[in-house]
Amino acid sequence: MDYTPQNQKDKKQMLESIGVGNIDELFKIIPNHLKAKDLNISGGKTEQELLNYFLNICSKNKKLISFRGAGIYDHFIPSLVGEIVGRSEFWTAYTPYQAEASQGTLQAVFEYQSLICALTGMDTSNASLYDGATAAAEAALLALRVNSKNRILISSGVHPEYIQTVKTYLENSKAKIEIIPLSDNGRLDKNTVDPLIDDNTAAVVIQSPNYFGVVEDMDALSSAIKSKNSLFVAIVNPLSLGVFKAPGEYNADIAVGEGQVLGSSMSAGGATFGFMAVKKSLEWKIPGRIVGQTTDKDGKRGFVLTLQSREQHIRREKATSNICTNASLNALSACVFLSGWGNVGFSNLAETNISKARYAFTKIKSLDGFKAKFENETFFNEFVIETSKNIKKINKILLKNNILGPLNLSNAGDDFKNCLLFCVTEQRTEAEIDRLVELLAKI
Amino acid sequence: MEKLLNELSSECQPAYGVECDVAKNAQVPENLKRSTPLGLPNIAENDLLRHFTNLSRKNYALSTVFYPLGSCTMKYNPLINERIARNDAFNNVHPYQPIETMQSVLEVMYELEKDLCEVAGMDNFSLQQAAGAHGEFAGLLVISKYFKSIKQKRRKIIVPDSAHGTNPASAHGTNPASAAFAGFEIVPLKSELDGSISLDKLKEVLTPEIATMMLTVPNTLGVFEKSITEISKLVHDNGSLLYYDGANLNAVMGIVRPGDMGFDVMHINLHKTFSTPHGGGGPGSGPIGVKSFLEPFLPVPRVEKKKDKYMLNYKKSKNIGKVKAFFGNFPVILKASAYVKALGGKGLKNVSEQAVLNANYMLAKFKDKVNVPAGNRCMHEFVLSPKTLFKNDVRTIDIAKRLLDYGYYAPTIYFPLIVDEAIMIEPTETESKETLDKFVNVVNKIILEESYQEPQKLKDAPINTPVRRLNEVDAARKPILKWD
Amino acid sequence: MNIPQDLLYTKTHEWVKIEGNKVKVGITDFAQHEITDVVHVELPEVGRDVKKEQPAAVIESVKSAFDIYAPVSGKIIETNNKVLGSPELVNNSPYEEGYLFAIEFSNEKELGDLLKADDYKKLI
Repeated sequence: MDYTPQNQKDKKQMLESIGVGNIDELFKIIPNHLKAKDLNISGGKTEQELLNYFLNICSKNKKLISFRGAGIYDHFIPSLVGEIVGRSEFWTAYTPYQAEASQGTLQAVFEYQSLICALTGMDTSNASLYDGATAAAEAALLALRVNSKNRILISSGVHPEYIQTVKTYLENSKAKIEIIPLSDNGRLDKNTVDPLIDDNTAAVVIQSPNYFGVVEDMDALSSAIKSKNSLFVAIVNPLSLGVFKAPGEYNADIAVGEGQVLGSSMSAGGATFGFMAVKKSLEWKIPGRIVGQTTDKDGKRGFVLTLQSREQHIRREKATSNICTNASLNALSACVFLSGWGNVGFSNLAETNISKARYAFTKIKSLDGFKAKFENETFFNEFVIETSKNIKKINKILLKNNILGPLNLSNAGDDFKNCLLFCVTEQRTEAEIDRLVELLAKI
Repeated sequence: MEKLLNELSSECQPAYGVECDVAKNAQVPENLKRSTPLGLPNIAENDLLRHFTNLSRKNYALSTVFYPLGSCTMKYNPLINERIARNDAFNNVHPYQPIETMQSVLEVMYELEKDLCEVAGMDNFSLQQAAGAHGEFAGLLVISKYFKSIKQKRRKIIVPDSAHGTNPASAHGTNPASAAFAGFEIVPLKSELDGSISLDKLKEVLTPEIATMMLTVPNTLGVFEKSITEISKLVHDNGSLLYYDGANLNAVMGIVRPGDMGFDVMHINLHKTFSTPHGGGGPGSGPIGVKSFLEPFLPVPRVEKKKDKYMLNYKKSKNIGKVKAFFGNFPVILKASAYVKALGGKGLKNVSEQAVLNANYMLAKFKDKVNVPAGNRCMHEFVLSPKTLFKNDVRTIDIAKRLLDYGYYAPTIYFPLIVDEAIMIEPTETESKETLDKFVNVVNKIILEESYQEPQKLKDAPINTPVRRLNEVDAARKPILKWD
Repeated sequence: MNIPQDLLYTKTHEWVKIEGNKVKVGITDFAQHEITDVVHVELPEVGRDVKKEQPAAVIESVKSAFDIYAPVSGKIIETNNKVLGSPELVNNSPYEEGYLFAIEFSNEKELGDLLKADDYKKLI
């Protein structure tokens, strides 16, 4: 199959119209010594063969009951999300440059932006970025552009892959990145953070709930950051905002995060999307596309890409970012996801995550050989357990029972030797949690 | 007019709900608790389905109309690829699963990397980047890190027609933006009328500070760079590297390979050449390919195969780090892999041949009527400059908008900037002769008949779309970026 | 095209009005016409040092962005914040309400490099 519709007769006629005898003549300009040999790629598969080929590959994948999070989460995706993003009018459309022919995508993005603002309590959202890690990096770059300072402080409670991504993005800039240590209770202590912020600090980047599941006291941390005129970048789990304080409430300047939890599947960690929402004053500094409302010639409401002079296709080397294609379809998933809960339902979803995680937490920490790492802290749907048992053995046994066990944190630093990061979402049933606890008790 | 979600909100039972089968226990301390309302709409499932379905119908999509967008390679997105990628056995994989339970994911990545190497004539590919611009950025970081590793200070890159000062541009806007993003200073190089590179001008700007030169081949005017061998020699003799912008790879698969032309680093847009859908603006995927001496610099982890097992290698001492969390946009990678496996080497070559045939056929039908600045032959796309034909204050934007009335998405317009009133057309290989014939006739009719006889019709266009021309000035001056 | 006689000009289409030890700066009627509808203006911070012929502000239309260059070296002592909320002033009143910023110049000699109205007229 190669999806080309021209038959021999068409081809012949086309060549005649062009005035050449064969297709090779069209490539005459390419020097002969550069011409490629036959590509060594097997193919020519029919649709059926293709399907079977890939079904065969993924048949090795076992369906696992997941107690693992750390950035990508197993949440329920309502049927409506699949139906809408599966509509070819959305997934085969281009970036909505021709506004009159793209009102579907444009209005949906406008609605997405509105929903992200509602959720985060921020003023302005863009149309999406690649993922949570790149959103964090773009936030740091935004801060550096705004206040011409060059220190970026990042909490060590930020997802390690996000920190690595920020470092990569800032590699060739003048910025200096410094990591703020967590205190023994698994979160940032205001008294540790305060003295680290100086007049040259462009931004302080804090994640809540942090990588270890602990919810930070963002309100308390915010005041110190503000007093030094640094920007406060909050990395948040959008689902957690059904219960926990929103970035707008604690005066964050930039809110970013991973949007996978809003209706995208795990898919080995991508494709997902990153969201970014900012205060009004940063509107013209935000990277990526933005959709705005306006009117057409007849006064009818319509939507367009706007504030475009920030972007690469106009500003080129002075653009706020080089981003072009982003993650529009995943943002659409989020839009469909967020529009179907209502306030009460969405809070209930967040609360269900908390209730189930606490149920598991209480049971696991009381087992022999297991204890809570941060006993009195508040968490959303992830928590750390310290164990005297052999971690590899634990996960091996769980896997045998089709359970994807907690993440081994031994790579996360000396403080986390023998530590496990559990995740319990609304997807896990009481029976599944009980089964996990039962298996752990036997180890 | 379709209502906004907040206008649809009512006291009804919302679409989704969740039950908690353990005791509710969700109290949190006051200082951590949200106190402001969420502000989410309350809408029933039936109404939501109608809302979004109605919205979808306001889009011109590849599945409903011909999309001759130059430089965007809007080719048919095979349905089988979607079917494969929607399989839960792939979708339910967690990125931090034990390696032995995610062999399928690694196998797909490994295979695509291998196949891309063959298409591009490169030695290694990284699939981590989420889009073309992201790939460009990563590719330039690889170059930057390479020169640091051999202790050379090269902080400048040549971008032909990079819109510097008053020079108009032919390079993609992402080129200079990515370059600046990666910390490079840009050295512009003015190209010739057909977008090709003058060797003399190139020599003038090739200083010891040049790290790389970014080239799009064929260029944005659809012309193959005839001096590529000489360019490659000059650039390498200068100790610099050559960077390939793969945006136009659809013209040359199986015909000529970037690696064989002397390129050291390149990126590919899977959502162009390899048929993965554009999604209304992503997700995409921007793999970068390198020659083997640059492999140690690629982002981690690298997918490797030992005996029959696939592994993730994070231990590459010179790597540029991570440009994104986890491994890349896997569903996009999967779709591209399905595409390559469907076509194979022969099929891919046929794709490029047909793409070039389609473009030349359209060009042949235009060339006696509308000015084509780059000449009578092209690769997979070409640029018209109808400026001299315009009367009655008609401009290219009016042609584009009028095409919407005829049920076509508009071609790329006003790009490349080196051509006045440019109309850039890329038919791709997946359009039939009949589609091309009809489209050419409509464009000629608009330019050669309507613009003279009924210019107001063009100025008023579009009239058959859900909205008419929108006020972009007001949108930017007094931005309304969310509902009240 | 309105080119007031009492102002000085640059080749990059800024106008300059000398007021004691400072100059007021804006863009010319010709420039605003070429730029078309101004939708956004970025002004320098007050107190910032600027160098002659270096970018000091940015003016943006829907599809373009233009650097505005400092006509002389010195310190920014005043900005016209009215154009931030009402960028259309740059189009409607380029020489009055739509001016951009004022510089306290550090090198009086640089004023001599500026164009007279008639010379600017020849340029455009």
